Amino acid sequence: MFGLFNKKYHNPELLKMIAETQDRWFVFLDKLEIRMYEMCTAAMPELREVFEQDTDPYKRAHGRMLMGLRGQVNQMRKKADQAKEENIFCFIDQATSQLPGFTSSAGREYHEKLITFRMDCINRYDAFEEKMTYYTSMLDNVAGEQDLEAFYQAQLTVFESIQNTFVCKQCGGNITIARIFFIATYVTCPFCQTQNTFIPSTGAQMVLHRARSLAEQRTAHLLKNYEESKPKSHHLYQQYLRCMFDEWNKIVPDMTAENEKFYLRLLQDHAHSINHY
Amino acid sequence: MDKTGGKRTLTYLEQLKQKTLNQENYGGVIKEEDAKIEVRDCPECGAGRAFNAGLTTCAYCGFKFMDVRLSDGVHIKKENNS
Repeated sequence: MFGLFNKKYHNPELLKMIAETQDRWFVFLDKLEIRMYEMCTAAMPELREVFEQDTDPYKRAHGRMLMGLRGQVNQMRKKADQAKEENIFCFIDQATSQLPGFTSSAGREYHEKLITFRMDCINRYDAFEEKMTYYTSMLDNVAGEQDLEAFYQAQLTVFESIQNTFVCKQCGGNITIARIFFIATYVTCPFCQTQNTFIPSTGAQMVLHRARSLAEQRTAHLLKNYEESKPKSHHLYQQYLRCMFDEWNKIVPDMTAENEKFYLRLLQDHAHSINHY
Repeated sequence: MDKTGGKRTLTYLEQLKQKTLNQENYGGVIKEEDAKIEVRDCPECGAGRAFNAGLTTCAYCGFKFMDVRLSDGVHIKKENNS
């Protein structure tokens, strides 16, 4: 009756705007990606050079440069996020409000077009985010993996060669340092009972700082097993974490009690996380 | 200065590199030092600090090496109080 249900909704202007907005969004992200590629590829040799030149044991100059570059990449993410909110989602909301109801046959076609447009834009943004993650990890890994095992073994060898060379400052009696220490510690002279302070070398002190990374290097194969499991296996994670902490405790036995608390917390956090897909 | 005589504009990367290299590290430059042994003699009587009498006061003249009470740490224990 009255042909109410046969009425078609036509809005060629909106179709044109959808196509134009999508094109602009794709071009905008393309440009950001090109800029990101240019910056990151040009930064890699520079970053490696700074890492090699940096004499600081903590490689802080390299760290500062890396943070600066990561900041630039994050700025691009912010720009893309802002554009997504202002130009894509706002446009969709505005257009939707002007369309006939979704349940009516008149507006259904246009609603579906808007949904497709939304999904295409979001998928393009996801591809942009993937690239961003790729470039960020490329920057992170530019220095390559350090051979911490060789460094640790070198420190042990040095310590073995010097552990019997110390004398008490009070009486001159020989003092043997029983085991390697990574922080300053009191050593009692066996002859005059004077409390001497043993201060480890800078290299030995650095072992404490690098112990966790070394333990992670030793157990990297277990972490890989966990990461490759689908769905992510809590059992494999626990196996990795236990071995990593055991290695860490072997390197720095003094921190075993504190590390155990940390281990339990990480395990609990993992059990309560939702990323087990 | 470039060939045209104008001031060369540094690219972002060059500026960043220069800044990161020029910035002073917090705490200054870390010097590589060998392991060593030190001792703290009593400034009052010159006696060495004896372990058996605790670490906080001089076993001979009672001079206070430190005012704090020691608590359990990695190598120091609360039993080390004089």
